[in-house]
Formats: sequence, structure tokens, C-alpha cells
Amino acid sequence: MTATNVNGTATERPPVFSVDGLWKVFGPKAGRVPADPELTALTPAELRSRTGCTAAVRDVSFDVRKGEVFVVMGLSGSGKSTLVRCLTRLIEPTAGSIAIDGEDVRAMDKSRLRELRRHRAAMVFQHFGLLPHRTVLDNVAYGLEVQGVGRAERRERAAAVVAKVGLEGLEHRRPGQLSGGQRQRVGLARALAVDPEVLLFDEPFSALDPLIRRDMQEEVVRLHREEGRTMVFITHDLQEALKLGDRIALMRDGRVVQLGTPEEIVGSPADDYVRAFVRDVPREQVLTVRTAMRPAADADEAGTGPAVRPEATVSEAIEAVARAGSAARVMDGGRCLGVVDAGDLLGVVAGTAVPEERPEGAAVLPGEAELPKEAV
Amino acid sequence: MATVTAPAPKAAPGVLTRPAARKLLALAVAAAILVPFAVTQWGGATWPSALTVDVSEPLGRASDWIIDNRDSHPLFLYFFGHVSNVVVLAVRAVYLALLAVGWAGVTAIGALVAWRVAGVRLALGTAVAFLACGLLGMWVPTMQTLALMVVAVLASVVVGALLGLAAGLSDRMDRVLRPVLDTMQVLPAFAYLLPVVLVFGIGVPAAVLATVVYAAPPMARLTALGLRGADKEVLEAVESLGTTARQRLLTARIPLARKELLLGLNQTIMMALSMAVIASVIGAGGLGDRVYQALASVDVGAALAAGIPIVLLAVVLDRVTGAAGEERPGESRRSPLTWLYALAAAAAVAVAGRLAGVLEWPDGWELNIAEPVNRAVDWMTAHLYSGVPVVGGTADWAAHFTDWVLNPLRDGLQWLPWWSVLLIVAALAWLIGTWRTALTAVLAMAAIGVLGVWNPSLDTLSQVLAAVAVTLVIGFATGVAAARSDRVERALRPVLDVFQTMPQFVYLIPVVALFGVGRAPAVAAAVVYALPAVVRITAQGLRQVDPAAMESARSLGATSGQQLRQVQLPLARPALLLAVNQGVVLVLAVVIIGGLVGGGALGYQVVFGLAQGDLATGLVAGAAIVCLGLMLDRVTQPTVRRPRKGA
Repeated sequence: MTATNVNGTATERPPVFSVDGLWKVFGPKAGRVPADPELTALTPAELRSRTGCTAAVRDVSFDVRKGEVFVVMGLSGSGKSTLVRCLTRLIEPTAGSIAIDGEDVRAMDKSRLRELRRHRAAMVFQHFGLLPHRTVLDNVAYGLEVQGVGRAERRERAAAVVAKVGLEGLEHRRPGQLSGGQRQRVGLARALAVDPEVLLFDEPFSALDPLIRRDMQEEVVRLHREEGRTMVFITHDLQEALKLGDRIALMRDGRVVQLGTPEEIVGSPADDYVRAFVRDVPREQVLTVRTAMRPAADADEAGTGPAVRPEATVSEAIEAVARAGSAARVMDGGRCLGVVDAGDLLGVVAGTAVPEERPEGAAVLPGEAELPKEAV
Repeated sequence: MATVTAPAPKAAPGVLTRPAARKLLALAVAAAILVPFAVTQWGGATWPSALTVDVSEPLGRASDWIIDNRDSHPLFLYFFGHVSNVVVLAVRAVYLALLAVGWAGVTAIGALVAWRVAGVRLALGTAVAFLACGLLGMWVPTMQTLALMVVAVLASVVVGALLGLAAGLSDRMDRVLRPVLDTMQVLPAFAYLLPVVLVFGIGVPAAVLATVVYAAPPMARLTALGLRGADKEVLEAVESLGTTARQRLLTARIPLARKELLLGLNQTIMMALSMAVIASVIGAGGLGDRVYQALASVDVGAALAAGIPIVLLAVVLDRVTGAAGEERPGESRRSPLTWLYALAAAAAVAVAGRLAGVLEWPDGWELNIAEPVNRAVDWMTAHLYSGVPVVGGTADWAAHFTDWVLNPLRDGLQWLPWWSVLLIVAALAWLIGTWRTALTAVLAMAAIGVLGVWNPSLDTLSQVLAAVAVTLVIGFATGVAAARSDRVERALRPVLDVFQTMPQFVYLIPVVALFGVGRAPAVAAAVVYALPAVVRITAQGLRQVDPAAMESARSLGATSGQQLRQVQLPLARPALLLAVNQGVVLVLAVVIIGGLVGGGALGYQVVFGLAQGDLATGLVAGAAIVCLGLMLDRVTQPTVRRPRKGA
């Protein structure tokens, strides 16, 4: 792979969350399921009829790296919400390991776990989870209050966060007097107020109207750009996942079926399920010219034509090619990586030519072939 | 999340009749085996004496022992004695404080509290209610009742909240407490009187403790309900921020349960008032005692003069505490400063009243309504009781009702062989509920027989059945009318509101005025008492039927009669069954109290036991009332309580 040299530095960044072989099984005597290879091989329906247990999370492993937006995507019932709750043990995992900054989360005692929840990971909930009897300001300050921060200081800090999420002037309203979007801003502010290392989002915008949802997504993008905070984002919406995620883990029936950048998910679906999932995605807006380019045929081709960055999307390249009327060069710091012409770009849009096609049905292991956007 | 287990496959509608048939078949088989054996062994209609256990003698001995040892045994000296003393002292202290504040002061404080909690209109209402109590010459009894209430309510709230907290936080406590509280909720007030009298003797401590036992369960139930009903995601969010269990309880669970807690307070106050009035039978004094004495001598005027303050007190207490539970929109937080002003103003009025020397209600301001009322009642007795052309008189109606309905019903029940009564109870309970409820019902009914009060219990049962039948006919008809017409509902609402807040005891006053004493008035009082709840539940059930189902029926061209029969009534079935259940429970409570106005049977035995100091008879009757209440509740209990699945 051409990009491994740039990629190498990215994988060395320490993971914030490191999840390995995680299981969550609901039901009687759940503990025996992950340990028994015969049971782990069963389909969910078979498992339920045999044992009465439901495996919500099945043998999931991944790393969340510092500063990235890690999206867990799946339809309802795929186990994604259970997974995110396991990270801070709001739901106790059945088997496997979770580490935050190298520290074993499952081994934490009560006070250490509280410490984790208070300072290191804060969560935003689908239905907001606000306290209806408190004002916006007191809701935002609640996490600080729990930590024992004094009244004046926590209100001051909460007011700053309230302003940051665009709720100035609403500090003294109650959650009942706010719209859905405003309430989720309060939920976001509450999580931000404790200045956590990681923000966990559990389908935060699913309950919102489409327009408000887009606003809120842009808000998250903006916050991430400004603060660079690590985020784990759960969603069932593919568009949302592609828009926000540096990397996406696609879940089905409790398993991660593919883990990769948006480009990899769309460009090289791991199996038919993922392929069906991404079929309607406008590919030219997700795939980059890096995947569409071919080596320059000769020096002349490598020397002329408009220049595009390797991380530019195909649709941007289409615009450049259409303006210039000739093939475009993919330039990275003065070096020509390759060229794209109208035919290559059309092939991407039509889905007929997929460069770097991975072998059909190949299992995608976490950590393999990852191309974090910002590293390219 | 993949945590939801698949719902159990539901039986298709066509198969619905099968379980019922199966149940009946099983019962018939059991009967075929057991009945011949029972008949040959213990024939006859009434409960066989071979199967009764005479408990009155040991009970009598126990009661004698308690009376003998009340002043010497350590248990009484060091525990019950202290409890009793504390209660007496507390009630006395509150009573003296109320008298010391004076009528002007009490009225002002009441009005200001009502104003802060519930607004100007209720403040005026409160002031008027207090002044009316004074006007009727009932100031001192009102204060006596109020003092007893204050102590009883405080104790009930503390006990109830603690129990509720335990049940709300611990699943095990919940499993233990819930059936107990559920059962306590359906038992008639009279059942609680005798055990406390046995321990404390007749007097204020017994009255207060009976009131606490009666009034604490709703507080406990609602506290547990509120704590358990909190929004799961809010609690999860609070937990995700790293709260300790204590922080979760104080900052989230209790504030989130505010509505239920205040509703619990409201219900506890209303139950306490109801019981404080009934407890006049065991020496509570105050307003209830005035009504009790007046009813004993059929002095309707005097009973009314004491009954009106009870009703006013009930309405005011209900509205003010009810308003506290409602969120009033558009109003900012009430600052403690205004409370301070209000208190200062009340104190000023009280001091002014003291200085002006108007502590006691001035004699000249009293309005004697007893005499005019009695004159009116006399006139009614003379002109309306009987011999009114065409329609007959009220006493005639009562006599006819007794002759044509109550007597045949009682005789019929007593004629039925005892085993067939058990069989009928089992069949009904099983058809409506589960085998568990059926078993409880049969065991409760059998216990009545074992206690040796089979015949009086069937007498009470016949009154209950007659009253329930009347209640349901009128209640369902009115409920349907209220559900179908907004105008009827609007007209009914204030009436139902007032009727639902009145203590059971006061219903006896008007029926005695109308029908004299006997079983028919007891049934009439029971009907009037149970009607509002039945009407309300029916109307609400019909109105809450899924509008989409109604709309689709209308879009298919169903007439309004078809809509009612084919959509509303079937869909409202759970509500209708609940109405029946509530109706039965409420009717039983008043039929028992009817023992005070000649209802006879179990209620009379309790009163007789108290009056004659024959606690054994009273206790046996009390136990039979408990069994009867349990049986009636289980027979009509439709809810299938499944054990909750562990997730």
C-alpha cells in the first residue's frame, strides 16, 4: 500500500480506549457464553433458543486514538448502544478487556470508576437525560457539582460552556421550555463542562428534526476542529457516520463487520451487508482522488494539467478536470503521485472502476489498512 | 440495543375462549371429586360447625391479659406506654398551640399557606371554610380533629416515606412490601380499629395509631412508585457523570419523584382525615365524635352541623395539597422571602387577635343550624317518608328495597350450600384473574367460615352485592354519558371532585335523614360513596380509547352505537374491570361503617365489640372483614401480575 509510510506515525499514537474481545451477553448465566466456543459459533436466534441469552456485543475489538472521531454505526439492535455503555461500565461487560490510557477499566473499583466517569469520559444521550427540575445553567453545572466544585466556580464555568454551545440568554430556562435541539445543546454542554478526555455520544441527534440535526452535526464538527477532543459517536445514520467519522466501525448482530475510514467503507465494502448499506451513498463525495488516480503514463502527463491534493474528493477533482478540459495531477508537496482523467473519475461515480479492490469477502480486522484522514 | 427479549406469542382471538373453558373444566373436575366428600362429611347449607375454630375464647383471654398487664408488663411500660404518652403529648401540644393562636390566627395562617401554595382563590376558600367552622359552633371540635390530624399525618408521612424509600431502592423490599401495601389499601377502615384498641385501649393514642396505619400506605406506595418510575435515561445520564448513590438519590431520584411524593402527601392527608373521623368510635374526639353521638341519637341537625366542617376541611385540604403538586407554568420560583412575609403577616394577625382578646370564637357569632335542620327532617319524616301518592315515600322505598332485594339476596346466599359459595368464588376469581387470585379468594372465604361468622358475613356480602349492582348500573350509565358528551362531563366534574374528597363517615348523615336507620340506608350510603370513582374511571377509560381506532371505525361508517359497543367498550375493558374492583372495595368500606346506622352484620359486631368491651367478638368480626375485603378484591382483580423478567 502506498500510504503505509504516512500511516505508520498515526498508528503509533497511543489509543485512548483500547477494547479487546469485548462481550456483553444478557440473560441467565450469561458468563458461560463467551467462554464456550460451541456457543459463540451460534447465530443470535440459535443462541437464544439454546440458552435464553442474547449477545448484544460479540467479541468486539478496536482502538480509539487520541483526537479522532470514532463512529460506531449499525441499525437498531446491532448492539452499538450497549457497546458505548460498556466503555464506562454503565453496563457491565461480560467478558473481554477495556483499557483507557492503558488502565484496565474492568478492574477499577467503585471510586476509581467514579473518577473515570467524572473526569475522563462524559456522555451525551439520545433523549438528553436532563434533570427537569433544574435550570439550563444548573443542568450544565451538574457534573461539576457532582465533583464537588464550589457553586460560584461551577456556575462560572457552566456559563462559559453554555455560551460555547450557543445557548446564551437561555441559562435560566427549564429543559421543559426548550426545543429538542436546544435540549441536546444542554446535554452537550453538560458533557463538555467537566472537560473530559473523551466525549461519548449515544445517537445524540436521532430524536431531532433533519434540519436541526444538520446544525448539531456541524456544531460537533466545529467543536472537534476547535478542541480536537477524542469522540466516540454512536449512530444509525450512515450519512452522519460518513460526515463525522475519521474511522467507522460498522456493527451487525453485535459484531463489527467492517472497521475503516469512510472511504474504505464506501470504496471497499467488506461484505454484501456493507455493500448493500453503502449502495446509495454518493461515492464521489466520499472517495478521494488518491483511490481514483493511476500512475502517470509519461513525463508529459505528469508535468501538465491542474493540480489537486490527494485527499480531495472525487467531486472536487471532477470540477477541476471539467474546468481545465484535461487530466488533473495529484500533487503532494510538489511531488506528483499520479493523474486522474475524466474516465477515471466517471468510473468512480458509476462504481465500475474501484481501484485497490480488496479481495471479495475478505475479513476486515481492526487496525488493518487504516487511513486516518488527517494523516494523509 | 439488543437487550429486549422477544414478546411471548399471543393467543389468537379465536382461541381466547379456550382458556376460560379449560379453567372451568378443571374447576368442575376438582368439584366433582371434592364436593361429594364434603357433602357426606359436613352437609347442610351453612358452614359446618365441625370446621370452625372458636377463637373468641383465646382472644378474650389475650385481651383480658392485656388489660390486666397494661400497667405492669415491661412491654407496655417501656414501649407501648411511651408510644402512647408521646402521642398524647404531641396531640395535646398541637391542640393547645392551635387554641393559643386563636381563631383569627389559625384562619390567617391557613389562608396564607393556601395563598402561597395554591393562589388567591383557594386562600379565600380556606378562610371561608375556617370561618364557617366557627359559625357552626364547631371551632373547638375542628381544632381537636386538626390537632389529631397534624400528628397523625406527620407520623404517616415519616413512616410512609421511609417504607417507600426502602421499597423504591431495594427490589427485595419492594417484593415484600408491595403485596402488603396493596392489601392494606383495599381493607375497610373499620378493620384497623380493633387491633389498636386491643393494645392501647380506647382513647387518643389508639385513634392516632389507627389513623397512621390507615394513612401511611399510600405515602409508601407513591414514594416507591415515584422512585421507581424515574426516567431511566436521566438516571443513566446522572450515573454517567460519576455520581455516588447518595448524590443520585438526593439530586435526581427524589426531585424527579416530586409529583408522586406530593400526591402521596395529598392522599395520606385525605385518608388520615377519613380515619380521624371514623376513629371517633375509639375515642378520637373532635368532629367525628360529634357526628357519631348525633347519629346514635338520630339527631340529623347536630350531625350535619359537625358534618359540614368535615366536608369543608376535606375539600380545602385536598385542593391545597393537590395544587402543591401541580406545576404552575409562567411562575418563577417562589422565593423564601415571600414565605417569610406571609409568616410575618400571619403572626401579626395572631398577635392582634390575642391582644384583642378574641381567642375563642365569640358565642354571639354562632349559627345554630341543628334546630332548623331537625325541623326540616321532622317535616320530611311526616310528609315524605311514606304515603306520598303514586311515588311512595323514602321510607317505603327503603322498606321495599330491604324486602324485595336485600332479604331475598341474603336468604339466598345463606341458603346456598357452603361449598357452592366457595365454588362460585373460585370460578369468578379464576375467570377474571389467575389461579393465584382464585386461591387467595377461596382461602379468605373459607377463613370466614372457620372463624365462625359465616352467616353475618353473607349478610354483609348480600348488602355489598346489592350496592355494587346499583352502583355499577348507575355508574356505567353516567360514565358512558360523561365520556360521550363534553357538556355532561363538565357538569359532573365539580360534583365528582367534591364527592370524592368527602370522608366515608359523612355519607351516613344524609341517608339517615332520608331513609332512617337500617340496612337500606347503609346500602344507599355505600352507593353514593362508590359512585364517583366508578363514574370517573369508566369515563376516563372510554375517553382514553385509542383515537386512531375510533377514527378508523368512523371512517368505516360505524354508527355511534356501534362505535360504543364494538370499539370503545371492548378496548376500555381493563378500565371497566378496574371500575368494578374499585366499586366493590369502596362499597364494602361503607357497608361496614353502615353498622353504625343499623346495617347490622359484621360492622355491627365491631361496633358492639367496642361498645361492650367485648373485644373478642369485635376482633373476630374485624378478621372476617379483612377476609371479605381480600376475597372481594381478588375476585374482581383483573390484572395479571407476572413476575418481572431479570434483564
